[in-house]
Amino acid sequence: MNWTGAVRTMLVCAILIVLHYTLRPLLAWRASIDFLIVALLLGSVRLRPGAAAVYGFLLGLVADSIAVSPFGAAALAMSIVGFGASWLKAVFFADNLALNGFFLFLAKWIFDLIFLIVGHRAIDPELAMQIFVWSPLAAAVTAVAGVLALSLLKPLMEVRTT
Amino acid sequence: MATAARLGSRVDAGLLVGCVVLSLIAVVLKDEDREPIASALRRTVVAPLVGLQRGAERWRSAWVASEQRQLASDSIAIRGIKEQALLVENEQLRKIVGLGSRLEWGFIPAEAVHSAAPSEDVVTNMTLTAGSVAGVQRYNPVVAPEGLVGVVQTADPTMSVAILYTSPDFRASAMSADATAFGIVYPHTGRGSAAYMLELRGVPTRVQIKPGTLIYTSGLGGTFPRGIAIGSVVSELKTTEPWTRTYLLRPSVSPSRVTTVLVLTAQRVTQGTGNVWGGAVNSDSATKRIVAANDSIAKQATLIEAQARRAALDSVRRATIDSVRRSLGAAIAPEAPDSAAARTAPGTLKPPVQRRDTTRARRDTVRPDTIRKNPT
Repeated sequence: MNWTGAVRTMLVCAILIVLHYTLRPLLAWRASIDFLIVALLLGSVRLRPGAAAVYGFLLGLVADSIAVSPFGAAALAMSIVGFGASWLKAVFFADNLALNGFFLFLAKWIFDLIFLIVGHRAIDPELAMQIFVWSPLAAAVTAVAGVLALSLLKPLMEVRTT
Repeated sequence: MATAARLGSRVDAGLLVGCVVLSLIAVVLKDEDREPIASALRRTVVAPLVGLQRGAERWRSAWVASEQRQLASDSIAIRGIKEQALLVENEQLRKIVGLGSRLEWGFIPAEAVHSAAPSEDVVTNMTLTAGSVAGVQRYNPVVAPEGLVGVVQTADPTMSVAILYTSPDFRASAMSADATAFGIVYPHTGRGSAAYMLELRGVPTRVQIKPGTLIYTSGLGGTFPRGIAIGSVVSELKTTEPWTRTYLLRPSVSPSRVTTVLVLTAQRVTQGTGNVWGGAVNSDSATKRIVAANDSIAKQATLIEAQARRAALDSVRRATIDSVRRSLGAAIAPEAPDSAAARTAPGTLKPPVQRRDTTRARRDTVRPDTIRKNPT
């Protein structure tokens, strides 16, 4: 990835992060869009797995510091998701919107799974409801929003397909 | 190359493990230990994002508050509208109840559902929620508290359809309030608001009706009983008819406001409705009733006066008798004892029985003409 591509990716990620802290509170949906996951995946596929893990860790720390959730849960989940996204990019990631959408859906659901299990520390019906109802819904919404964001921001970035 | 790749993989794995370990440490940290880290992040690196989030939440709160305010004002407005509608409905129901109590019998209450043909912009008929099961028959008059609405056209078992006075088929024999002018009421052929006006046709030329004169059904023809209010005269219409006059009428009833009506039964039509709509057309019966009422009042007054006169005469008579007796020196006879009271009140002193005074000289029974006069 050249410098221009890196700057563009950083810019898009910054936009997505800003959207996460502006649009998401405005919408306040029960199954909300997670722009941080979109930003994480967008950056991770352009980084080595280790760097992607660090990127995810930092993004997770940002999320943990602002949210009321247990500190470190988002960092852990995002580290794993970022690493996995970067590791699997050669297998899955392609210039295909539907595949990108599925990838986003999966990433968000895995993130929620790790985040909720680590954060709750106990399995109860509410957790199950969250994992099997609200998380898939939020993942679907995130996938749709991510695909839309990628389509809109496509001119800004250069997708690495090799 | 392979060594570099292997090294890279190891570095990646090491970084992942490091991140995971750090994250787990953060997770297991106690609140008092993790809070300073989070707080430091919020004050430094994440501060702009915190500001953005706070601003967005503030916007959201303002939006929700304005939405709630709007909803509250809307609900107040809706409540006001509903209240107004309820007041109007209540007023209409009061009127219909009043009409029902004035009619007393021979009517069927029904709710009116307006309908109009798609091509028409004027309401010409209405569906009534009462049918033949309730006693509604074809040609039964449909009335409202204000006056005539229309006539039943078809009567199904549970519902019926009535044509309004706006229908081209509507006719009613009518007359002025003082019963000096008669004619036939037709719907006025106009557009817009004029479509709801009426025409009184066939009034003789010699009879002139002033604007504002009330028009009632005349009872001729047998469809409508005499005395249902139809409307008031607005003006005279110029026609080519030389021998008759035509007048424009403003109907008493606005069809759009009619929600509840009364259907007069055939028996009631035959018997008449009396002075229910307050028309002078029923002055005959009204006058009779007034005269009868006056007669009864006069009779009562006469009776009372006679009784009073009788009582006064009695008292005068008693007083005269008493004074005469006093002047003659006779014992004053007490009032006639109430023998019944005396009988029923034991222990009370009986009044002394007046016996004839035998010591007094008797009345001279010798005829004066038989007394021999002294010759000296």
